[in-house]
Amino acid sequence: MDKLGGALYEIHHMDEMAERDQWLNRIHPLPKLLLAFAYIAVTVSFPKYHLPGLLCMGIYPIALFILGEIPFRDSLRRLRIVLPLACCVGLFHPFLERQPMSAIGNITITAGMVSMLTLMVKGFYSVLASYLLVASTSIEKICYAMRLVHIPSVLVTQVLLTYRYASLLLAEANRMMQAYSLRAPNQKGVHIKVWGSLAGQLLLRSMDRASEVYESMALRGYHGEFCYAAKPACKGRDWLYFGGWCVAFFFLRSIGEW
Amino acid sequence: MSHIDIELSHVSFSYAPSAPILRDITFTAYGHDSIGLIGANGVGKSTLLKLLVGLNLSYTGSIRIGGLPVAKENLPKIREKTGYVFQDSDSQLFMPRVYDEVAFAPRNYGLPEEEVEKRVGKALELTQIGHLKEKQIYKMSGGEKKLASIAAILAMEPGIILMDEPSIALDPKNRRNLIHILNSFGHLKIIASHDLDLVLDTCSRVMLMHGGRIVRDGNAREILTDRELLESHGLELPLCMQGLLA
Repeated sequence: MDKLGGALYEIHHMDEMAERDQWLNRIHPLPKLLLAFAYIAVTVSFPKYHLPGLLCMGIYPIALFILGEIPFRDSLRRLRIVLPLACCVGLFHPFLERQPMSAIGNITITAGMVSMLTLMVKGFYSVLASYLLVASTSIEKICYAMRLVHIPSVLVTQVLLTYRYASLLLAEANRMMQAYSLRAPNQKGVHIKVWGSLAGQLLLRSMDRASEVYESMALRGYHGEFCYAAKPACKGRDWLYFGGWCVAFFFLRSIGEW
Repeated sequence: MSHIDIELSHVSFSYAPSAPILRDITFTAYGHDSIGLIGANGVGKSTLLKLLVGLNLSYTGSIRIGGLPVAKENLPKIREKTGYVFQDSDSQLFMPRVYDEVAFAPRNYGLPEEEVEKRVGKALELTQIGHLKEKQIYKMSGGEKKLASIAAILAMEPGIILMDEPSIALDPKNRRNLIHILNSFGHLKIIASHDLDLVLDTCSRVMLMHGGRIVRDGNAREILTDRELLESHGLELPLCMQGLLA
């Protein structure tokens, strides 16, 4: 499968995964959204040398992988571009903080090494928490939850439509590349001479498609406020799930201070 | 829903003054009419349909739907009673699942979820795609997408149906079903199509377009059996007539 087709497949696969009838998927989107934010906030708030305590926070993504039956290896593969970026954040710390903290055998562990690892783990966990939210909740439900916490409609609609238009852009690009490769059989990639016209065509076609989708929405009563698929009420079970994790985060954060 | 009329008077439209797309179009379509809009490629059929739902508002002349001028302030009311099926289903369908797509309009018009469910069920039953209710749209074939886009406008229970090439991508069985759906729709419908057999089966009145104008407006059978007229405007007799009138 070519790269663009693969990217499209991944988007559709994420949609499917979010629509599955799993226990985790059935939890109301609002507690899941709030938990994702709370988890990232708590994770980021750990002091930079408290690595063992931070590692314990890994229990949340592990539990979600199990509860949601989300394949771990596939997830890492999907996040292969983002994760290294998140992990690169603290690369210079070992050069800046050289005071020794402890030693393993002959190897001195400096404060910079620990703070680098802490930052990497924080980035890793934050990306995982966002991924797990998207993998277990459809974009419509996430947007619905965002509206419930009074995030302005215009911003939420931007999120939703960006997600939808991204697939349109990819689909158009995929079609153009297929048409190109069928008539340029011995070429690897796109010849530099046609880069300009391909990019221009892609822009124009994507704008056309996007405006047609918007027209289709407008013709069926869309007036700026998206009516989200289902609007289920938040039940006791959902709040119990939320409360349980909040207590766990508080506990893990507290022992992290020791 | 009561019958809704469409009245156009001296309507012209162009993106650039030097290249008019529609010229001086005048007609009245009554609430029970079934009209076929025919003509060669690029004569302005799709543009005319788009004007009727206010997708282009920079026209000259007058367009009234159910007595309301097609102008920005009236668009919500006009669009609530008008179902428009796009030529390209991929441009019309944007929700992940068929159910959500068909439910999009009823939900936007604030109907309670039970009523939404009822309308979606009815629309899917009419188009015979009830079994695809939970299907991801990107996995559907061209014909299935076309039926889903037709179901999406039927769920609005519109007073007017406008269809742009509705039979594209449909297999013979689904095409036959589409003809049945169109014939059982008791209100005004305007169908732009090159499938003249479908037009013959579903429309009692035909408007033939050429160069942005309506050059003939009359009885469907009379126009669709006039070989000379059709051929002089880039068309041919419907397939079912070709043997008979040879």
